Amino acid sequence: MTAPGDGGTRLLEVRDLQKLFPIRRGFLRRVVGQVRAVDGVTFHVERGETLALVGESGCGKTTTSRCVLRAVTPTAGQILFRTAEGPVLDVATLARRQLRPLRRQMQMIFQDPFSSLNPRRTLLDIVAEPLVANRVGDRTERIERVAELLRLVGLRPEYMRRYPHAFSGGQRQRVGIARALALNPALVVADEPVSALDVSVQAQILNLMLDLQAQLGLTYLFVAHDLSVVKHVSDRVAVMYVGRIVEMAETEPLFGAPRHPYTEALLSAVPKPDPRQRAQRVLLEGDVADAANPPAGCAFHPRCAYAVERCRAERPVLEAVEPGHFVACHRARELGLRGVAR
Amino acid sequence: MATSTAGVSRPGARPILEVRDLRTYFFQDEGTVKAVDGAGLSVYAGKTLGIVGESGCGKSVTARSILRIVERPGRVVSGEILLRDRDGRERDLARLDAESREMREVRGGDIALIFQEPMTSFSPVHTVGSQMIETIRLHQELDKKAAREKAIEMFGLVGIPRPERRIDEYSFQLSGGLRQRAMIALALSCAPRILIADEPTTALDVTTQAQILALLTRLQQREGMAIVLITHNLGVVAETCDEVAVMYLGRVVEQGPVDAIFHTPRHPYTRALLRSIPSIHAPVRTRLPTIAGSIPHPYNRPPGCPFHPRCPDFMPGRCDRAEPALRPVAPAVDAACFLYEDARA
Repeated sequence: MTAPGDGGTRLLEVRDLQKLFPIRRGFLRRVVGQVRAVDGVTFHVERGETLALVGESGCGKTTTSRCVLRAVTPTAGQILFRTAEGPVLDVATLARRQLRPLRRQMQMIFQDPFSSLNPRRTLLDIVAEPLVANRVGDRTERIERVAELLRLVGLRPEYMRRYPHAFSGGQRQRVGIARALALNPALVVADEPVSALDVSVQAQILNLMLDLQAQLGLTYLFVAHDLSVVKHVSDRVAVMYVGRIVEMAETEPLFGAPRHPYTEALLSAVPKPDPRQRAQRVLLEGDVADAANPPAGCAFHPRCAYAVERCRAERPVLEAVEPGHFVACHRARELGLRGVAR
Repeated sequence: MATSTAGVSRPGARPILEVRDLRTYFFQDEGTVKAVDGAGLSVYAGKTLGIVGESGCGKSVTARSILRIVERPGRVVSGEILLRDRDGRERDLARLDAESREMREVRGGDIALIFQEPMTSFSPVHTVGSQMIETIRLHQELDKKAAREKAIEMFGLVGIPRPERRIDEYSFQLSGGLRQRAMIALALSCAPRILIADEPTTALDVTTQAQILALLTRLQQREGMAIVLITHNLGVVAETCDEVAVMYLGRVVEQGPVDAIFHTPRHPYTRALLRSIPSIHAPVRTRLPTIAGSIPHPYNRPPGCPFHPRCPDFMPGRCDRAEPALRPVAPAVDAACFLYEDARA
């Protein structure tokens, strides 16, 4: 990649990504405004690491991940992906035909294991589908590969002739993971992979994802709203608010010593599973700002307990306050915010 | 069949709602699903009881059974649902006709329910205000104008900004958090003594969840009502509940004060469940302890203790033969597990 200081370890680099959705009204469907779903997002993901994108609904985390996979075409910005063959390609601008070989190298794990698997197809059909679509192997080889994949995710290969309805939510999520891994992708985008699962099953799937990463050297872009889950799987975390990254750092410093008031409030809002720690909360007032009409200055200022005049007028940029710790807040250097203790 | 006694006995306080050995079955062509199979609970005035458990444990069906709104082919098969009035009068809701006038007055009047998905709880073709006014007038003798004023007052109470304008909006015009607030206002408009909240914050973001939980706590202190909070989120339970009932496959396996449940859990399922929750305090990138296997399909309910195939303390010949009853195992704590039967004998 062209970034200085990168010794070829970056698998993905996203620069100034923007995605606007037009708002149309009336009989002529005239464009009357724009939803700024993703509005100038820059981050990178090292090979073999997990970067979590966190934030509340509407913050743009899912749209960002969809852009990375080019399921959504970005309005502006670059998505540089280092291919297995060597060259770095810009996913944002590639033609459809050129995208196809690239899609083998980036795969997705979905949130809902009930609606993401076709109920009329067997596990064999489902898991082998990417192999068939990419004309990999003959039928015998595919059956062998599916058996291997099922074993890899902790399912018995004998199950491959069965249909999804015979499996629990956790088992279905394993099937979804097996399908995502069929083509040996380098990057796996996981959008809320455990949020639809029960607690005991959630733990199993998170462990599986950690194991597979160690075993196969996978790189994860992990989209989630649950910060406890994120703590268990991520090397680094990017916190998004109304289409922008407001804080990005390694997991431990971000949780232990957040530098953005929104991160502090998010951490404080997570219910702690210990009745002796009923927290004095930083309760946020109001709702997440409207991405079609974000407030002037810092988008978080109407809800921020620390906002000053400057925050209403001037939009803060994402800057390093310490090496590897980026914050978009005018007061990042002066505030002493509360994180969560180990 | 094992019977379960209802919850914890406390000197000086009688529960205002007591569920005893409740069984609610769904009769389907493929077989009978015993969604609730011998559950017992006690709800005290001014206190919050949390019912926790994973999908299929029967926590929502228990709530629907109390209100007698179980949908066909389900029905309350046996058990008692005792509702005590302020003057000590006791009624068994399990014996009332679900469609009767008396039961309709209990619903909304004595016991109100809020759901997980506030989007589907309001009609999309009526304003939220008109639905609230209708509900208020169903339970109280107020004219339209007075009911509207009451509705606006309730909207203000639950923290909806500019209530006099919001009341004329449709539910889709409100954000998720405001919709849940409106739902709470609707539920509380007739001053119920018991509020059953079924996953009230599951569809919401964490910051909104914190707002709604704080609101429920504030309203409880103000109105003195009892809350039954049904959730799978153990963090929410730890932060808001006084008492906790842990359910597994239709039965309460442990019930006790929140501190005892979280700090000295007795039932192997409670212990395993608590260990497996991702914690925000955990070291970065750590594996979680898991519970072996998965929740059995309702048609394949294991014999004996329903948890035995996944239990680390499984005693062959014992746990797979008979079902343990819910019995006292420590002060104010009940558990249904053979581990404690010998100790007691």
